[in-house]
Amino acid sequence: MSEEIVLEAQSISKFFGTITALNDVNLKITKGEVLGVVGDNGAGKSTLMKVLSGLYKQSEGSLFFSGNKVNLNSPRDSQNLGLEMVYQDLALAGNLPIGDNIFLGREPVKKVGPFNFLDHTKRKQLTEEHLAKLKINVKSADQKVEELSGGQRQAVAIARATAFNAKIVIMDEPTAALAVKEVGKVLDLILNLKSLGVSVIVISHRMDDIFSVCDRVMALFQGTNFAESLLKDTSRDEVIGWIMGKKD
Amino acid sequence: MKFIVSLITTSFLLFSGSLLADGHAKTIMLSTKGPGAGNPFWASVEAGAKDAAEEFGVNLIILSPPQESDVMAQVAQIEDQIAKGVDGIAIAPTDPNAVAPILDDAIASGVPVVYIDTNGINEGVTFIGTNNINGAALAAQYICDNVPAGSDVAILQGMITQTTGQHRAEGSHKGLEACGLNIVAELPANWDTAQGMSVTEDIITGNPNIKAIFASNDNMGLGAIQALKNADMLNDVVVVGFDANPDAAASVAAGEMSATIAQFSYNMGYMGVENALKLANGESIPDNIDTGTVLVTAENAADFM
Amino acid sequence: MDKSQDSTFVKLIPFFEKYGILLLILIMVTVLHILQPDVFLSWRNITNVFKQVSWQSMLALGVFMVIVTAGIDLSVGSIIMLSLMGLAIASKAGMPWYVVMLVAPAVGFLCGLFNGLGITLLKMPHPFIMTLGTLYIFRGVGNLISGGVPITGFADEIRVIGNGKIKLDTILGEGTREYIPTSLILMIVIFFIFWVFLNHTRIGKWIYAIGGNPGAARAAGINVNRILIIVYTLCGFLAGIGGLILAGRTNSAYPNAGLQSELDAIAAVIIGGASFFGGRGTVLGVFAGVMIMGILRNGLNLMNVSVFWQQVLIGSIIIIAVYIDVLRRDFSTRK
Repeated sequence: MSEEIVLEAQSISKFFGTITALNDVNLKITKGEVLGVVGDNGAGKSTLMKVLSGLYKQSEGSLFFSGNKVNLNSPRDSQNLGLEMVYQDLALAGNLPIGDNIFLGREPVKKVGPFNFLDHTKRKQLTEEHLAKLKINVKSADQKVEELSGGQRQAVAIARATAFNAKIVIMDEPTAALAVKEVGKVLDLILNLKSLGVSVIVISHRMDDIFSVCDRVMALFQGTNFAESLLKDTSRDEVIGWIMGKKD
Repeated sequence: MKFIVSLITTSFLLFSGSLLADGHAKTIMLSTKGPGAGNPFWASVEAGAKDAAEEFGVNLIILSPPQESDVMAQVAQIEDQIAKGVDGIAIAPTDPNAVAPILDDAIASGVPVVYIDTNGINEGVTFIGTNNINGAALAAQYICDNVPAGSDVAILQGMITQTTGQHRAEGSHKGLEACGLNIVAELPANWDTAQGMSVTEDIITGNPNIKAIFASNDNMGLGAIQALKNADMLNDVVVVGFDANPDAAASVAAGEMSATIAQFSYNMGYMGVENALKLANGESIPDNIDTGTVLVTAENAADFM
Repeated sequence: MDKSQDSTFVKLIPFFEKYGILLLILIMVTVLHILQPDVFLSWRNITNVFKQVSWQSMLALGVFMVIVTAGIDLSVGSIIMLSLMGLAIASKAGMPWYVVMLVAPAVGFLCGLFNGLGITLLKMPHPFIMTLGTLYIFRGVGNLISGGVPITGFADEIRVIGNGKIKLDTILGEGTREYIPTSLILMIVIFFIFWVFLNHTRIGKWIYAIGGNPGAARAAGINVNRILIIVYTLCGFLAGIGGLILAGRTNSAYPNAGLQSELDAIAAVIIGGASFFGGRGTVLGVFAGVMIMGILRNGLNLMNVSVFWQQVLIGSIIIIAVYIDVLRRDFSTRK
C-alpha cells in the first residue's frame, strides 16, 4: 500500500452554540485505502464527514488535501479537490435514466452555433465506459433509476460520485437500505474503487461491511477519537466495544 | 392516404349537399349564453325557437357554452356549426366584441346572422331583443310611483362590462333621478343571487332609511329580498327586479318582490329563428326588432310563473 | 433483471408508453369520422380544431413545464387576460403594430417572473398559493387598466398570429378556399422549440431532475430556485403568446378572456400523461392532451351535444386517462 496521504484532518473541533459535536478529532487516509468509521448515533461521524466535504466549516483545526492546507467553503470546493459524497438518501432523480443521473449538473454538451445542446451520444458512451470500469451491470445506461433495485441504485450513486476522477469517496451507510444479496455487490464495488486507486471512507454500523472491505477502522465516541486500528489487528467484538465506549 | 380519400369524399359530399340544400328544410343555429336547463330565461328563448322551428319547418340546432363567461366555447361552437353547414344563426353573444370576428366570417361565407337578447357590434346585423334602457326606465317609473319623493334608493347593477348591464344601469339611473329620488348606492352584483344578497347587506347597513332597490336582474333581486328579510326590512323596501323569471314572478305573487320587468324572452327565440330564416331565404328584415317589455306586479304575476 | 423472457407483449409496452396516446387520438378521429362523415375530416373543420386549441395549447405547454417541476400555475388564465389588455392598451395608444405584438408576450413574461420570484424569494409553501394569489391579482390589474370594459379593434398585422391564413392557391390551384391558419404554424414551431429545450438542453434536463428529486438536483450543484424562476417565467411568456393569439382570434380584449382556462390547461397536461408529482411527461403528450380535448369538444359540438355532457365527458376522460396510466405503471412494476 502506498503511503501517500491524500486527505488529513488535524485537530478538528466543531461547536454548535454550546454543544461540542467534534472535539480535537484527527483523521487521515492514504491513496487506495478503505477506512471504516464507526460510532454510535451522535458520535460525530456525520458532522465529521460534513466538515470533510465542506458542507460545514470546522470551528478549529485544519484540513490537508494531498499535503496542502485547504479552506473549504462549499461542497463544490471539495468536489474540485476530488472528494465526493455518496449520500444515504442517494440523491438520485428516479425519473431520469442512469446516465443522466451520473452526469447531472455536469452534462456533456456540444456547441451548435451560440447554443449548447446535450450530447446524448457522448453521455451514453461515457456512462457505459464508466459503468464497465466499475464492473456495474445494468440492462442499459438508459434505464430509469426508479426501475433499479436498491443495490443498483447504490451502485449508480457511487458511479455518479466517481465519474469525475474522484480521489476520495465518502459513503454514508452504503448498505443500510439493501437486501442481503445486494450487499455483496456494493462491497465488491468498494474493493473495485480501491483497486483503481480511489480512497474510500465507509461509515457503517454493520461489522460485516467493515470487516470485508476496510483496511483500517477508527471509532468516534462522543465527538472524540476513541480508538483506531488496522483491521488485521482487531476483532469484531473489540470494534463493537469501541462503539459502546468500552476499551480493554 | 385514408385521410386524403376521406377529404375528397367529404368535399364531394359537402358539394352535393349544398346543391340539394335549397329544396330541403333550412338549418338554423340558436346560440344562447347558457343552457336552457340551467336558466329559465334561456329555456323560454329555446321554447320560442322550437315553436318557430316547428311552425316554419326549420331544422333547429341549439348550442350554448357551459357558462356565460366561457366566450371561446361559444366561438368554437359557431365555428364548428359553420363548418358543418348551417343556413343561418340566431345568437345571444356572451361577449359581443369577442364573437364579432367569427360572425363576420359566417356572414362572409354566406351564413346570415341575427342577434337576440344582446346586441352585437357587427355592422348591419339585426338586433332582436329588449330595449333595456326603456325596460329599466319602466322599473324606475314604478319605484317613483310607489315611494315618497326624495327617498333613498339603490341600484344593483349587473356585469357592468356588458351592454345589457350598462343599459339597465343607465335607464334606471336616469329614471330614478328624474323623479327626484336620492340614489345612495349603485353597485355591481354581477347578475348573481349570492352577490346580490351580500351587496344589499352592505347597502342597507350603510343606508338604513332606504326605500327602494332596483335590481338589474331577478337573481340579484331575490338576493336583495333575502338580505332585507334577514334584516327585517322587507316591509319597508320596494324591490323591483328585471326578467320576470318564474322564481321572481312567484316572489311578486307572494308579495315579497314588488315588481319585475318581463322581457319577452320567448319572442327572442321565436323571432330570432323566424328572422334568421327570412335572411336565409334572401328576404330583408329591419335593423332593430323590439321584443318589448311589460311591468309585472301582483296582478299579472301568475302569467309568468 | 436477468430474466430475459421478454414476450412480444412486454416489448410493446414502451411503444404504448410513448405512442399510446396518439393511438387514442386515432381512435377518436376514426369514431368521429364515422359519426360525422361529411364534416369531421373536412378541411374547414380540421383547421377549426387547430384554431380552437392554439391559444389553449400555449397555456398547456407552460403549465406542463411547471407541473414537471412538481409545481402548479393557476394564474395562466389571468395572465392571458392581462397580456391581452396590455396589448389592447398599447394598440389604443397608437403604438406601431410590431411593438403592440411584443407587449402581450412581454406582459406574460413579467407576470411569470413575478410568480417565479414570489415562489422562490418569498418561500411560499407551495406554488399553488402564490399563483392562486396572482390569479386574482393579474385579472384585477387587467380590469383596472382597462376599466373593466372590452377594448376592440386591432390592426390586421397584430391579428395575423391568431387570425392569419396561409392561402393554398399556389398549391391547390387558383380560387381554393382552403388555408392553413397561422396559429397552427406558430403552435408547431413553439412546440418544437420547447421540445428541443426540454430534451436537448441542460436546463431542460434539470427541470426534469428537479421534478424527480429536488434534493438530488441541489446535490448536483443545480441552482433549483434559478431554474424554477426560469420555468414560471417561460410559463407566463407562453400565456402571453396565448393572449396574442386570442387577440387575433377575437379582435377584442374582453374581461372574461381566459377565465378558468387554467383548468383546461391542467386537464390537457394530465390527459397527456404528465404526473402531478413532477418529473414525468413529454411535450408530445401535452400536444396530444390538448388535441384530445379539442377534438372531443369539436366532435360533440358537431353532434349538437349539450355542453353539460361535454363537461361530464371531459371530466371522465381525465379520470380514465390517469387510471390507464396507473394500470400501466402497476403492470410495468410487476413484470
